[in-house]
Amino acid sequence: MDLDVSAGEIHALVGENGAGKSTLAGIAFGSIAPDAGTVSAGGTVGLVHQHFELVGRLRVWQNIMLGREPRKGWHVDTNAARARVAELARRNGLPIDPDAFVDELAIGIQQRVELLRELEREPSVLLLDEPTAALAPAEIDAFFGTIVQLAARGTAVLVVTHKLQEVINYSKRVTVMRHGKIVAHFETAKTSVDEIARAMVGGNLPAVAARAATAPSPCFVADGLFAGESETAIAGIGFAVRSGEIVGIAGVEGNGQTTLADAVAGMIPYRGTIHIGGNAGIIPQDRNKEALVMNWSIVDNALLGRQHTPRVRHGLLLDRNVARADAQAIVDRLDVRCATLDVAVKTLSGGNQQKLVVGRSLFGEPRFVLAYNPTRGIDVGAAALVQSRLIEARNGGAAVLLISFELDEILAVADRILVMYRGAIVGEFERASVDRATIGRLMAGSR
Amino acid sequence: MMDFVHGALATLVLLTLVKSAPIVYAALGGVISERSGIVNIGLEGMMTGGAFAAVVASYATGNAAVGLVAGVAVGALLGFVLGYGATKFKVDQIVAGMGINLIASGGAAYGLVLLFNQPGASPQVHALGRWYWLLILFAFVCAFALHHVLYRTPWGLRVRACGENPRAVTSAGLDPLRFRLYAAVISGALAGLGGAFLSIGEVNIYSEGMTAGRGFIALAAVIFGRWTPWGATGAAVFFGFFEALQFVLQGRVAWLPSEAMQALPYLAALVALCGLVGKVRAPASDGVPY
Repeated sequence: MDLDVSAGEIHALVGENGAGKSTLAGIAFGSIAPDAGTVSAGGTVGLVHQHFELVGRLRVWQNIMLGREPRKGWHVDTNAARARVAELARRNGLPIDPDAFVDELAIGIQQRVELLRELEREPSVLLLDEPTAALAPAEIDAFFGTIVQLAARGTAVLVVTHKLQEVINYSKRVTVMRHGKIVAHFETAKTSVDEIARAMVGGNLPAVAARAATAPSPCFVADGLFAGESETAIAGIGFAVRSGEIVGIAGVEGNGQTTLADAVAGMIPYRGTIHIGGNAGIIPQDRNKEALVMNWSIVDNALLGRQHTPRVRHGLLLDRNVARADAQAIVDRLDVRCATLDVAVKTLSGGNQQKLVVGRSLFGEPRFVLAYNPTRGIDVGAAALVQSRLIEARNGGAAVLLISFELDEILAVADRILVMYRGAIVGEFERASVDRATIGRLMAGSR
Repeated sequence: MMDFVHGALATLVLLTLVKSAPIVYAALGGVISERSGIVNIGLEGMMTGGAFAAVVASYATGNAAVGLVAGVAVGALLGFVLGYGATKFKVDQIVAGMGINLIASGGAAYGLVLLFNQPGASPQVHALGRWYWLLILFAFVCAFALHHVLYRTPWGLRVRACGENPRAVTSAGLDPLRFRLYAAVISGALAGLGGAFLSIGEVNIYSEGMTAGRGFIALAAVIFGRWTPWGATGAAVFFGFFEALQFVLQGRVAWLPSEAMQALPYLAALVALCGLVGKVRAPASDGVPY
């Protein structure tokens, strides 16, 4: 395969999960050896990782200068190091406190540290691997603002992503990969999201499931809900989700969504009442930490949370045959791509892990589904599939509470939209009467 | 009466220093290895190895200084075994550490029979004599030096980064495994020095089981001292104090059986650690192979 990135250009590399983007980036960076062929760069290459490679309990300057510490005799010259970081931050327009501890910084600021660490080496080529996967919308704009300036000063930038809107907004050219091969090149100005998406999935996008008419009746009711503390607390939230309805909670990250989700899931104490009329399925925000045991097999993970139900439990023993059959059903229904049901889930790609989590939470037709960013960090094909399954659950009479940081997702899926700002619900819209601009203003905190 | 109290107090202070020194050495060894990301549960075995090697070398050469060097060397060798296993082969560090403990105690027991033809204890050898006071002082010099290295030098910064997130060290273009290996070797050397202090410093023989769990007490001191050199040193002195107290009270408190009194330092360690539950945080990648 051939790929070239010019100085001063932002080049987007897109493709579904497992298409080989990260491998290509690794080869370009030099951390993976190519089987054949050559890579040449006019200077050094910097790589900003999808999952930041920072040391949380060290200071900003220590992270940035690690391995290139200025010395004074035997010692690290801390003053010189701080000054260099401050100067670097000023030169790149990325304000930062060199003495802050990294784990006390917001995600967006942590990424700034990761970026500054790479910039310290003055790379002529900068690789960004899914740089915005963990960022809120406002942080994404700020991040790309910096990247555009960097490119304007002559750095060649290669962005690995599957967020097509970012590709359209910021890149000059696009390269599409599928199954380890380059399948298309586009000039960004002459293409569209649809065209790129079709190239990515090799045909038309799987259509999102149609919405069937339902007869909504109350299923989930929250009333006078207080939980959490300080900035992410929720105060006096009340709303209902009816069966056969998807209620979307829109809002910028950090406005109490996590507290709300944790309270609904029963993971944190709260005041007020939550009534759930039936069995619940929960899709947590963080599949690594809250949903899957990475070293366990697909069968065991698919069983997790249902291990006490009569379906799989006979006295003290588990019925492994039923568990396996259930896992197979989940894998089939959500199109989880895996070699066998016995592989550890850590060997699956992120998108397939997420599909497994979604499939498990929808298994057994729950009456209520809590979906918190169910498509975060997965590719368009998988996202469409997940959204379809949520709509199908709704069509089947489930009450679905969808909390998402992606407004587009909420607009595509929800019957009713609530806007959350600083721990309170500040607006409500019916699907038929959605006003995108008004929602955007409410999310930003203005009336 | 006052004379007795004064005498007992002076004894207590001096004895605390003597009893603390080997724990300080081992605890400092624990600090550096755990800060690099290697859990060193083999401190006990490294002390045993150091204690036995020191006696053998002193016996063979008639020179206690050679014994001291041999103790450090064997400790470092065991540290290398742990470090190499943990980095090159990514073995479970707890298992490797326990293996080192078993090999050291078994090896020393076998060595006693093989070399001296007497199980249980070695014959008397040349000890360090008055020099061992210098070795007590040196323990605190080591604490000062380790603090300096960890917090002021580039090498120390990198070691700490290895213990928190080795991938960040890789991103910086360095090899975290090298730092971990070096840290494990230094850790073993320090524990070996502590062991040598026990056998040819405090006394002049090696007797089976003479480390008596001090390596594990040192591990407790590492945690109690929050993985910092001075913290671990303070905790080691705290535990050393209870060991000394137990000696001073021995035979003076009639109603308490001496066996119960001997449990004092271990009891202190247990209580200290229980009070810390949920309040301390180990290096994020401590014990996680990379």
